[in-house]
Amino acid sequence: MGSPCAKKPIYNLDVKMRFMVIARVSALLVVLACARPAAAQPSAPGAPDAHEASMGQTTQAPADAREYPTLHIAGFGDVNFATTKRPEGPRGFSLGQFVLHMTSELSPRVTFFGEISFTARSDAGTGAPLAPGFNAEVERMIVRFDRNDHLKVSFGRYHTPINWWNTAFHHGQWLQTTITRPEMTQFGGRFIPVHFVGALVEGSVPASGWNVNYKGGMGNGRNSVISRAGDAGDTNGSKAWLVNAFSKPDRAYGLEFGGAIYGDTVLLATSREVDERIYSAYAVWQKEDPEIIAEVANVRHEDPGTHAVTWSHAYYVQAAYRLPQFKRLWKPYFRFEHIGIDDADVMFATVPRLDGGTLGIRYDISQYAAVKGEYRSWTRGEGTPRNHGGFFQVCFTF
Amino acid sequence: MRTRTIFPGRFAVFAALLICAFVLLVPAPAHTQTGDIAVVVHPDVPVSNLSLADLRRILLGDREFWTTGVRVTLLIRAPIARERDAAVKDVCQMTEAQFRQHWIGKVFRAESPSGPKIVYSTEMALEQVSRTPGALSFVPAAVAGRGVKVLRIDGKAPGQPGYSVK
Repeated sequence: MGSPCAKKPIYNLDVKMRFMVIARVSALLVVLACARPAAAQPSAPGAPDAHEASMGQTTQAPADAREYPTLHIAGFGDVNFATTKRPEGPRGFSLGQFVLHMTSELSPRVTFFGEISFTARSDAGTGAPLAPGFNAEVERMIVRFDRNDHLKVSFGRYHTPINWWNTAFHHGQWLQTTITRPEMTQFGGRFIPVHFVGALVEGSVPASGWNVNYKGGMGNGRNSVISRAGDAGDTNGSKAWLVNAFSKPDRAYGLEFGGAIYGDTVLLATSREVDERIYSAYAVWQKEDPEIIAEVANVRHEDPGTHAVTWSHAYYVQAAYRLPQFKRLWKPYFRFEHIGIDDADVMFATVPRLDGGTLGIRYDISQYAAVKGEYRSWTRGEGTPRNHGGFFQVCFTF
Repeated sequence: MRTRTIFPGRFAVFAALLICAFVLLVPAPAHTQTGDIAVVVHPDVPVSNLSLADLRRILLGDREFWTTGVRVTLLIRAPIARERDAAVKDVCQMTEAQFRQHWIGKVFRAESPSGPKIVYSTEMALEQVSRTPGALSFVPAAVAGRGVKVLRIDGKAPGQPGYSVK
């Protein structure tokens, strides 16, 4: 005996199958036809441009239907011109950093962030004497697990969160109002450790409208070359640690203030160890009419053998104002900055002092590009000759 | 006595030019819309009221999760739309350029994996909000329909005196 299906007339089966096929194709066509208008809507007026789609403001499938990982790449770049009375830093035209930034959601709660820079240097090439070239650097590489707003845990290489500027603008010159960073937080500088390799716990709590945010971290701290982080491992057994807290109160929308403490024992290239504590504080008014940024950092160094203590300090105050005229495209600014180094500070023996002022103006060519012009005047401590110069920058994001 | 004749062809050209000038020079009545903008969320979102400050924190990415641990998915209309203006200018007190720069910086600071998702129409906003757990968007109050939950802002529903998202 055959199966029950075999008893059915072949003609009837074909008709049923045909009907099923036609029904399924019809259903598919109806679904596609219904989906088409929604898919065609991006060409409607008001659709975002490519920048909006590539830099965070993206149109995606609902979270439940999203595929992982989702990779987005953005970038920053700048071209500079400088002329100074006395030679200090690059003169004439120079390329700034070419920065690529990657974000990728690995799951609804796991995210990867990466930042790579290519920096023009006079000694990055090969040969003798060394030819100019570009230095590639992994600036940040972070994988983060978000439990909720109160608790996020991450691992990787960060910009040390003990300084507001260091974590607000990173390597995106277009994001900051001025051409350069304050010298206390300059890339390649030594006053504060700009990079940090380790783990970070962070979160925020509403706190009755005070919106208190915290960060706590542990990592390798400074390398023996103190401008560098311990990327390839710790130089000594002492881990660096940091605690950071800041508030964005609802009642003063635009205000942010906070402080941080950082601790480490640094093994210098001379095999000498120095205990380091950094105490920093800041206040920022982020609206652009006006924009005010003020930061201070005190660095305490102690020789564990002699218990000799030194204090060095740095601060800056920057004010800017986006002019309401001319389509709000012009933004004049001024910054004063100071770095004071204790004469007895062994670790900072070669860190330059600074007293300087910057007066400039930023003009936004488009929503994603700007030009800036600056006049700077500065001295390198008491009794040193005053230097001054003019600086120009075109910066953009893409 | 010599009489001037107006040629029909010349008259037609003159009339056409006049009409064109009228059409080009007289501004068309602005397509203004009035009425409150409703803040709508997925029905499973565990809140029915938000303070304006909380709404601002969500729009700026400072608050990323609902109390149940579900991530906020922010859906916002593309520029020019009135709903976007209400969100950016009224709630965030920012210009469009400032809002864009804020989000580029937010993602660049590794504080948020991505910016707000763009929706191109009210219908799309409503459909996405109804389908996406944790989603929040802005739509004209008059069309906020079934499948979404309309939030009160500072205790006031759209249409009530003192409602702040317009």
